[in-house]
Amino acid sequence: MLDLQCIKSFVLKNFLFTDDANALSDSTSLIGEGIIDSTGILELVSYLEESFGIKVTDEEMTPANFDSIQNIAAFIGRKRPD
Amino acid sequence: MERLVECLRRHAGVTPAADALIDGTRRVSYAELYTLAASIAAGLAAAGVRPGDRVASLFPHGPEAVAAIYGTWLAGAVSVPLNPLARAHELAVAVAHAEARVLLHEPGQREVSTLANEPGLGQTRILPLDELSGLAAGTEPGLQTPAGVAADELAMLIYTSGTTGSPKGVCLTHANLAANTSAIVRYLGLTARDRVLSVLPFNYAYGNSVLHTHLAVGASIVIEKNLVFPRAVVETMQRERVTGFSGVPSTFALLLSKGKLGETRLDALRYVTQAGAAMAPGMIEKLAAALPGVEIYVMYGQTEATARLTYLPPARLHDKLGSAGIPVDGVELQVRDGQGRVLPAGEQGEVWARGPSVMRGYWRDEAATRNVLHEGWLRTGDFGQLDAEGFLFLVGRRSDIIKTGAHRVHPLEVEEAICTLPGVIEVAVAGVEDEILGQAITAFVVADPATPLTIERVKARCKELLASYKIPKHVEFRASLPRTSSGKVRRMDLSILSAEGSA
Repeated sequence: MLDLQCIKSFVLKNFLFTDDANALSDSTSLIGEGIIDSTGILELVSYLEESFGIKVTDEEMTPANFDSIQNIAAFIGRKRPD
Repeated sequence: MERLVECLRRHAGVTPAADALIDGTRRVSYAELYTLAASIAAGLAAAGVRPGDRVASLFPHGPEAVAAIYGTWLAGAVSVPLNPLARAHELAVAVAHAEARVLLHEPGQREVSTLANEPGLGQTRILPLDELSGLAAGTEPGLQTPAGVAADELAMLIYTSGTTGSPKGVCLTHANLAANTSAIVRYLGLTARDRVLSVLPFNYAYGNSVLHTHLAVGASIVIEKNLVFPRAVVETMQRERVTGFSGVPSTFALLLSKGKLGETRLDALRYVTQAGAAMAPGMIEKLAAALPGVEIYVMYGQTEATARLTYLPPARLHDKLGSAGIPVDGVELQVRDGQGRVLPAGEQGEVWARGPSVMRGYWRDEAATRNVLHEGWLRTGDFGQLDAEGFLFLVGRRSDIIKTGAHRVHPLEVEEAICTLPGVIEVAVAGVEDEILGQAITAFVVADPATPLTIERVKARCKELLASYKIPKHVEFRASLPRTSSGKVRRMDLSILSAEGSA
């Protein structure tokens, strides 16, 4: 749950330029809504790698892992089973 | 001369079952595409559209975006494809300027709901595609003949990097499009067996040209909506056995670094084209090394010349590395000095072009048209030189237009948006070198110390008013801006200062 909040506040601050948590639901399609584009995703991946100490491979960059805050949080959860 | 819409009808008749468009699991045959276009044409006629009227269309990158263009032509009208990333205000500026009779859009399109409040749209009927189809219910589209329109009549308005105050609609005729299409088909050697992967939006000259050149030969177009997942794009290339791919420099930067382009077997791939901005020679060599045996076409052009002016034959890629190549069939190039005198090979000046693909002018803007069209020649605003063999080498551009990824952005447009924030004393926007994007939009803001202003506030205002790719990647607060003796802000100095500051 903590992961999800961290990811959400990063997305809010860096792609929606706000700290209003109501501006984005956890299931909103980040790509469909044009919130994250081809360079935005690189910024997001760098943030995840630095903050969570993980390595995201090119193969893992898929809509299933990245299209919503929920999906990203679940992906991070799987990458960090502890 | 066969118009593109007549060409589509021919393929729909001869190879009706062949795939025209492939969008994920959806396959649209030539017959289906023509039927879709014909039903749009019937709907437009029922909505009161007459030959010569402008029809704006707003669709995501997909089959409906294509059908809207061809359906508009079937009705004899002028297609105005709009940018699906644009915000309501940006869309309204183009639609009002084009005086569109109809704005046809994807049902549920996010920006359309607020569009009705924008000024200048009184004459435009805003119709979702499903409602338009209802207007012509009961008519049987079939292989109807396109409305009789002369080849030198207007076919398309492409809105390019203008500003709110002066939108720039490039006027292209059916003959312009047909001429550029056939020149490109010839040098790429395109046939009905080709399958191209298209990521570039159809509302830009390059994406528009990829679309028409492949439909013109009865080939297939595999659509990818975006480049957010580069690896998935390369997997689609492999799965669909594409023979061709077109991109801008940032496309290739992403596919090489994140898409494993060089590590994936792409047996069917025959050619790759690159245009949109100069690609660094180092990147061209990297691309060539990643794709052995694939023909790599470096190309150059302008929306004002439909799309393509020059191409570098793949056999000369290495010995003419860094060149934009030779003119495409029908195009003549000259390099001229500031007085308009033709310069000899080896001397630098402005590139002028003449040929059947040069636009008729900017829509309802005679002054802007006079600035670039002289006695049949187009002043490109690009600087360069021709070598002794006639190969073009470009060195730079006159205008301040920022090329970021596949997009072109006028700095004034971003400056206008930022100036609407309280506390902004002045602002200058410039492109700063960026590894992936080519140029990243950077805003230099002089703020009133009495009014608190943050980077987020500046970006948030841009997001409210502008398409997302126009939001500055970087915002820097400055005490003042560098100026020329006449008081003009030096955007060039800002780009350089910022690049040095971050180095």
